[in-house]
Amino acid sequence: MGRIPILTFDRGTLILHPPPRGKDWLDLATWDDRIEKFRVPAIKYRSLIEVFQASGTEFLDQAKGFHSLELIPSLEMSPYPHQSEALAAWKLAQRQGVVVLPTAAGKTYLAQMAMQATPRTTLVVVPTLDLMHQWYAHLTAAFPQIEVGLLGGGSRDQTPILVATYDSAAIQAESLGNKYALLIFDECHHLPTDFNRVIAEYAIAPYRLGLSATPERTDGKHLDLEVLIGREVYRKRAEDLAGTALAEHEIVQIKVKLSLKESQRYNELIQTRNDFLQRSRISLGSLKGWQMFVQMSARSSDGRRAMLAHRQAKEIALGTEGKIRVLTNLLAQHYPDRILVFTADNATVYRISQELLIPAITHQTPVKERHEILTKFKQGEYTSLVASHVLNEGVDVPAASVAIILSGTGSVREYTQRLGRVLRKGNLGNKQAILYEVIAEDTSEEGTSARRTEGRKNLQVVYETGSSSGLKVAEQLEINYSNKNSNKTQNFNVTNGATQPSTERGGDHPQKTET
Amino acid sequence: MATDLITFFQESLGETQGVLDSKLSDFEGDATDYRLKRGLAHILKNNLGNFEVVSPLNPPMLRERVFALSVRSVPSRESTLITLNQVAQQLSQELNAEVLPFQVRDGLYADLSENKVFTSFDQPTPADLLHRYNLSQVQGVFYKASQLVLHAHRNVPGEYKLLFRYLKLFQLMAYIEGDADTGFTITIDGPTSLFQPSTRYGLAIAKLIPALLHVTKWSLVAILQTRDSYTNNWKTGRFTLNSECGLVSHYSPGKPYDSMLEASFADKWDALKSDWVLEREVDLIPIPGSVMIPDFRLVHPDGRIFLLEIVGYWRPEYLKKKFAQVRRANRDDLILAISERLNLEKAGVKLDDVPGMIVWFKDKLLPKAVLAVIDDR
Repeated sequence: MGRIPILTFDRGTLILHPPPRGKDWLDLATWDDRIEKFRVPAIKYRSLIEVFQASGTEFLDQAKGFHSLELIPSLEMSPYPHQSEALAAWKLAQRQGVVVLPTAAGKTYLAQMAMQATPRTTLVVVPTLDLMHQWYAHLTAAFPQIEVGLLGGGSRDQTPILVATYDSAAIQAESLGNKYALLIFDECHHLPTDFNRVIAEYAIAPYRLGLSATPERTDGKHLDLEVLIGREVYRKRAEDLAGTALAEHEIVQIKVKLSLKESQRYNELIQTRNDFLQRSRISLGSLKGWQMFVQMSARSSDGRRAMLAHRQAKEIALGTEGKIRVLTNLLAQHYPDRILVFTADNATVYRISQELLIPAITHQTPVKERHEILTKFKQGEYTSLVASHVLNEGVDVPAASVAIILSGTGSVREYTQRLGRVLRKGNLGNKQAILYEVIAEDTSEEGTSARRTEGRKNLQVVYETGSSSGLKVAEQLEINYSNKNSNKTQNFNVTNGATQPSTERGGDHPQKTET
Repeated sequence: MATDLITFFQESLGETQGVLDSKLSDFEGDATDYRLKRGLAHILKNNLGNFEVVSPLNPPMLRERVFALSVRSVPSRESTLITLNQVAQQLSQELNAEVLPFQVRDGLYADLSENKVFTSFDQPTPADLLHRYNLSQVQGVFYKASQLVLHAHRNVPGEYKLLFRYLKLFQLMAYIEGDADTGFTITIDGPTSLFQPSTRYGLAIAKLIPALLHVTKWSLVAILQTRDSYTNNWKTGRFTLNSECGLVSHYSPGKPYDSMLEASFADKWDALKSDWVLEREVDLIPIPGSVMIPDFRLVHPDGRIFLLEIVGYWRPEYLKKKFAQVRRANRDDLILAISERLNLEKAGVKLDDVPGMIVWFKDKLLPKAVLAVIDDR
């Protein structure tokens, strides 16, 4: 009788020594010459234990750093049907899997239910500091007897329930790996990057839950979630839940013309760029063309000038005066409703904040101040808020009824996430949330927006003219056109006073009525 | 260009980071060497420059007051002017000093990084700057490294010790082959590299390079993993470097001797007339999961070789680890010189199963005592 095999955890891996009898475990282990012992990837922990149990192999588990907890919830709600169904599906999949629910469908409470059903040390991983504080607040309220801690944003707690950012959890993956039995990945599409995936790979956690509204990634890596967490066990779209957990919503697109000066400069810059592209026979239509452009721009003065022109043109389109004017009007129109303004870049955030004295949140805002601003916004002390990407995901801002996107990029995820902000069910009952998207006409932004809104039904398009005064623009906004296709080239320009009749009043899309 | 940039930074003291950045981008111009300029500027700005918030009024306090007031009116440029005026008046009264609306406006976000002021600067020489630049360019290559294979030959123990100290600090693992005469092959990566090549350890490997530059003779091959942007597949590449590369480290060098004890022993040996040559180019003794680096190597013209390790440090954990290492190394050509002052019993160390030979010494280790043990063999 040999010595009993001992399993230990070493920086994201397991060491198995002395080797057990039998062969079935060999499929999972690799001989490591450096330490002259067998090593097993941490993520294979559950499989290895199952193999040992099946063959009745005796072993000593010194790897396991997690333990059971007594989780008595002080916060209990009656779950929505989709929450109970999702939990049942996850349990049936041996507590390993991904649940896809739209942004406001109560994923945090579902996670709480999963924790109660699997009462062991738990690591929750979230993409932003805002979400981290939100989960922290929820879990401390739900489980007051258990110590809940934070990892990230300056905190480095070591607690049986820990909320961490993806960044910090990835950096600490080697030491976190054996301490938690249950891993919960919020917005789990963040997990399959080269940098973040180690959180799952270096962990022995036998139970894993992924949550996301939009797990799909443009790079196709969402397929890896099956290995890192488990297969998709449940999915519901916003449309499936509309009216139950979510507020109804409506999307209005406003097209802004560049001022004469802006559009002249814009055309000049685009011309400079296109001349170069033509000379170099580059087409920007594909990723490859874009890469060629980037390469060429580093090789010649001409190319460099063309790249700078491209950037300046983009800046004009992003920050056009007209957008600020439309924004001022929308703010006036919806004052004092709770309004969220999103922009693509920090410079515009601060420009708006400074010119219109609206509180701002960017990645540069200190965590404490960010928390204060959000609290004041929720309590109604502040009625509007301007933010860049930081508020993209799942930040709970229940009272916002209007969202304005000033300029954005064309990823599907960002759009859904931003929508989720105003879709949250507030205390106000079924309010009609509105999402405005303000884009510059005749610029590359149009294409971006078209890609984003493809296939959406509840969308209408409004045109604004550059020359009109503030008041008139506000009036024009009352005339709205429904349009099946946002990327239609047909022009619905509204000139001062004179309105053209709308062509298509589609039967099944909502008509906008201003009050 | 380095001189120009250093002067440029020196002259920009007192300006905001935003202004500095836009001046830098003008300085880059449309010339194609902008990457070099940007890289040099990055080092000057981030590693050597200091930026601070400069505002007579506390920006978070200003924001709180301004936004508390601005919420009362519909946002517009007109109401902005009114609000700024009101806040300025309030503050003037409270502080008993005149506060102007533009100060409120400018102070509102004085704590943003682009509004921070460039206040001081550790001015480097142009040569320092270029050394640092060259090194960081090379370090950048290693970010993509999944493995480093190092060939080292004829180096003193202090240099190895420094290298392995950093190796441990950055949580890397090493596999060592070879001997002192032919040189060592040291393969460096991390725990999970066993299953698949991972660039996770690239940053740690990059940080090891400045420590490696303090080792006298070496050459290396790094295995690089890069993602092909067209096909999205991983590609494997190689990068080589050696001790003749001319790069200059900014880490502080290790000490040639760990202790006075070693230094004085080496001096005394030199004074001794013996066929035995005392070498500092030692053997690395691989131990599973670690490495032992003895202090000296004794070489006789007839081919006999011994390794000498001086144990003079008293801390119990150190002693325990040292003797565990010696036991695992299991070398019979190892001579341990142990101070009689050490309380080995208290440290829980037993000497009955220690391989090799032992020399006891009181205050100083004498070469004669070591030779006596060798002759007894």
